[in-house]
Amino acid sequence: MTEFDPRIIAFCCNWCSYVGADLAGTSRLQYPHNVRIIRTMCSGQVFPSYILKALELGADGVMIAGCHIGDCHYVSGNKKAEERFRMLLGIMKTLGLDARRIRLEWISASEGVKFANTIKEFAREIKELGPRNGGKE
Amino acid sequence: MKQIIRNTKAYYCVECGKCTGSCPVARGNEFFSPRLIVERALSGMKQDIEGDRELWACLTCEACSKKCPSTVKYSEFIRGMRKMAFDSGFTSRCSQGGLLHSIQRIHSIKDLVQDRLDWAKDLKTSKKGEVLYFTGCLPYFENLFSAFVSPIEIAKSTVKILNFAGIVPAILQNERCCGHDLLWTGDSETFQKLARLNTEMIKESGASRVVTSCPECLRTLKLDYADLLESTGIEIMHISELISSLMKNNGIKFNRSGIMTYHDPCRLGRHLGIYDAPRDVIKSMGELVEMGNHMAESSCCGVSAWATCESMSKQMQVNRLIEAKSTGSDTLITSCPKCLIHLKCAVHNQIPVEKEKVDIRIEDLAVAAGKALAGD
Amino acid sequence: MTNIGIYICHCGTNIAGMIDVEELARKAAKLKDVSVVKDYRYLCSDPGQDLIKEDIRSMDLDRVVVAACSPRMHESTYRKVLSEAGINPFLLEIANIREQASWVHSEKEKTTEKAFDLVRIAVAKVKKDESLESLPADVIQRVLVIGAGIAGIQTSLDIANIGYEVVLVEKEQSIGGRMSQLGKTFPTLDCSACILTPRMVEVSTNPKIRLHTYSEVEEISGFIGNFHAKIRKKSRGLNPDLCTGCGECTARCPTKVPGEYDEGMGKRKAIYTLFPQAVPNVPVIDRANCVYITKGKCGICKKVCPAGAIDYELGDEIVEEEVGAVVVASGFDPFDPTSKEELGYGRYKNVITGLQLERLLHTAGPTKGEVIRPSDGAVPKRIAFVQCVGSRDEHANKYCSRVCCMHAIKNALLIKEHHPDAEIFIYYIDIRAFGKGYEEFYKRTQEHGIKFMRGRVAEIFEENNGNVVVRADDTLLGMVMENEVDMAVLSVGMVPRSDSAKIQKLLGIATGSDGFFMEAHAKLRPVETLVDGVFLAGTAQGPKDIPDTVAQAKGAASSALGVISHKVLELSPLISEVDERLCRGCGDCKDICEYGAIELITLDSRNAARINPALCKGCGACTVACCNGSIKLRNFTDTATFAMLEAVLGGEA
Repeated sequence: MTEFDPRIIAFCCNWCSYVGADLAGTSRLQYPHNVRIIRTMCSGQVFPSYILKALELGADGVMIAGCHIGDCHYVSGNKKAEERFRMLLGIMKTLGLDARRIRLEWISASEGVKFANTIKEFAREIKELGPRNGGKE
Repeated sequence: MKQIIRNTKAYYCVECGKCTGSCPVARGNEFFSPRLIVERALSGMKQDIEGDRELWACLTCEACSKKCPSTVKYSEFIRGMRKMAFDSGFTSRCSQGGLLHSIQRIHSIKDLVQDRLDWAKDLKTSKKGEVLYFTGCLPYFENLFSAFVSPIEIAKSTVKILNFAGIVPAILQNERCCGHDLLWTGDSETFQKLARLNTEMIKESGASRVVTSCPECLRTLKLDYADLLESTGIEIMHISELISSLMKNNGIKFNRSGIMTYHDPCRLGRHLGIYDAPRDVIKSMGELVEMGNHMAESSCCGVSAWATCESMSKQMQVNRLIEAKSTGSDTLITSCPKCLIHLKCAVHNQIPVEKEKVDIRIEDLAVAAGKALAGD
Repeated sequence: MTNIGIYICHCGTNIAGMIDVEELARKAAKLKDVSVVKDYRYLCSDPGQDLIKEDIRSMDLDRVVVAACSPRMHESTYRKVLSEAGINPFLLEIANIREQASWVHSEKEKTTEKAFDLVRIAVAKVKKDESLESLPADVIQRVLVIGAGIAGIQTSLDIANIGYEVVLVEKEQSIGGRMSQLGKTFPTLDCSACILTPRMVEVSTNPKIRLHTYSEVEEISGFIGNFHAKIRKKSRGLNPDLCTGCGECTARCPTKVPGEYDEGMGKRKAIYTLFPQAVPNVPVIDRANCVYITKGKCGICKKVCPAGAIDYELGDEIVEEEVGAVVVASGFDPFDPTSKEELGYGRYKNVITGLQLERLLHTAGPTKGEVIRPSDGAVPKRIAFVQCVGSRDEHANKYCSRVCCMHAIKNALLIKEHHPDAEIFIYYIDIRAFGKGYEEFYKRTQEHGIKFMRGRVAEIFEENNGNVVVRADDTLLGMVMENEVDMAVLSVGMVPRSDSAKIQKLLGIATGSDGFFMEAHAKLRPVETLVDGVFLAGTAQGPKDIPDTVAQAKGAASSALGVISHKVLELSPLISEVDERLCRGCGDCKDICEYGAIELITLDSRNAARINPALCKGCGACTVACCNGSIKLRNFTDTATFAMLEAVLGGEA
């Protein structure tokens, strides 16, 4: 059997986290290849349904990354994301899906290291959890 | 497409326009005409229908079917057209960004083990039993809509009533969505998966009777699962029917209070013809004053399958509430969780009329009955 | 039909070293609707760009995907390529295969696989992209400046001197603001009036500046390039056009009340100007204290006015102004130390504030520059300055007010110069002499024998002779000291102007936790607000000294000019859009919008949301708030996202 290779989707906001991911690149920080980044304007622009859609389509982990609270380019988009994330956690629980499969992270434009480390940690955790529909959950 | 036309008797269409004339959507949406969709289908304009966003505007409320002189099964016709469109890669525009549809599709994962029974902690339920309560999506509705309505109360009240009557219902720890919404938005493949998973669990539960508090689950289990449940002889019934029979046979009584009016859900009413049972229950709880549009003439709550919500929907909801308020009732009873959510949604923020005109309590039948149980 | 071209950049070996470009191109060519895939060593170079242009023209490409470095590097470059080749620049997507693939991974096969996914995502997205055009909006080439202290004056003069019109609104009856209250200014000790009044005169004589004094902005609507303001010109009780400023009325007015401008240290008449060099030099009747208005008696001013200007019945006037940008320079208020009960302000006559001392030191002030103590008019010989009153204090304001240290040092030195035998104590916890020449100035005062006591004053109490005792822990000696002085001066900090909440609401700008108006970015956008076309100058944004205020005022002027020097502004088309047919008119989008960009309109018998393209910033919060998908953020739609997810997870494109 081949080793489980998780599929992770990360929605990164245009102003902080996407730039943080770029910085990880320009700093040549290595992190697992599992993540696929989708650029959004703001973490507050991420529909809760995007996360469930990704899970529905077989993603093993989904991350929303935005500016730190107080630093949102659009004043409070990240706070809105936070509220919606709480609702998502409720749905995850009811669905019986492990809450660790979804993440909300604040990564600023200067936190290339944090981006790389977050992906490392997330990929490791998802590997431990196994595939999304792997049976145990 | 020809098959669909044949199965739904669309061939008989005489293009009289009775359907469009009686369609609640066409009243506010000039681009939607039930008649024209049938006509286009009859002319073989497959691509034209598939790419038309109005294909998804139909509420499948069957207001037209009740009037159609050629007895075209219109809602089934639309369902068929949607499946055809879906298979060609077209999809409906969904409420909540498609969140509910995603939940429902996730339900089709075989190994899913849900954690959905929190609400039943203080009630008597079992894993197996003679009566099975099919909860439907209520735990998820609670996740989503708790800002303005508490749908899970319907489940709690239902079990409370059953317990009161000495029934310990089985509830399924891993019940799946019945598939209604996906079926009606064209995704029959996922529907089939859900149907198989559910029927297996229902059979395993040993139930001879399945009760639902949601008319959509009821319709789906009763009609759309028919071939899967056919040989089992399992009886599918709505909670209003069960309460009504408990009143007759077990002497269950309710404390009477207030004046109520009743909103017939499309699935319970026009689709399944269940008009009397909920009314029996209401009459035992208080005075029932009917709205002008009731029973087969009832208006729709404006949204179906989480896919048809638009400006029209809100107008229909507000009009319905104005109608209910003008009966002089203090409560509008409905017996469908979605009708409840939609009617409450309409008034929880901005409305285009004065608040007093729509200011009426909206309650689910099971919740109202649960509160009014005599001797509780 | 869609006709997509994909261009893969090697970026030298930056990409090609870790990604099998040939393999990637082979896979990408199989994607649906893709007509051509090419790779090139440096796509951003001129020949690279020409390659794309050439294909767009010769192969009729209608959409382009570039797999290269981050869109933050070259998105605008390639947009221009599309434009120049004749297709809409928004029909472009960039697959970031350098920063987010080749630079962060080390297994070639896996990295190539990931790069292909990123290309698939980009292809799925570009198919959903729509052509967008920037929206032109006419600009009214005038600026509204709110507040005519030194910040507002400087901003107005800078803009007017470039040649654009300014509408300058001042709440008080004269321009000049807080700076006009000051005597001498640190660290150069030049007199405030000497440097300020020429500027005030310049304002009054500049034909490009329309001055509204004794006026308040009541309403502002509109958006960048197009603001509409309603201004209330309060009645002065006289006709300013007739008044010659002779001062006869003030001289003969029999009523005397404590003067606000003198911080209560002197008295003024019921018809008065703030100070001799007031601009305009036109008095105001204080309606609350005028005996004619309150009791119907007197009327002397009317009788003596040689110009016949007095008109007690004159009402307020509303003027309306159209402008393209707004500068808020509404200033600060001194912290009211009454709430710091332990310091006795308001109870002990000889405890005054720094600004009150300033008025005493002012040669045109109530005592003509002589420092006397309020209880008995004696010249105080021992004076204590109490620093950080209302600042750096969790119970009042957390922030440092920045100017109080220098202000106290300056006034201490001035007193010492008048009375070399005076004993002066400054109670401080840190001396913050941050500005140019400040530290040197601080040193000079130390040489004059002013005593710096390190400790926060715990309590002040009064002796029978009117003296006050200052008690503080001298933290350097570790001893609690009680020090009887003739007078204590509280160095009060700066707080937001009492009416700043009103201005904040008028303009929809934000305030920070300190209550001052918030800049768009703490470091890089210090004069902008989050509302386009609205800028900040001076202490309205936070405590500042005069040089910093003037610097920011000049920054605000240049930022405002950056807006109004254009006749037409191009607004970004990447904004939200409402499908009015679907919209339920519930208003959830309106409630969530931080920019007031959405209003509810009435269509037939229903409500619907409408977006003001000039106010929308394209954050997309409304699209998520909308329960039925009636609002979309252009080119960032849910359908596009689902297509991207399907492409990468479902294996389709």
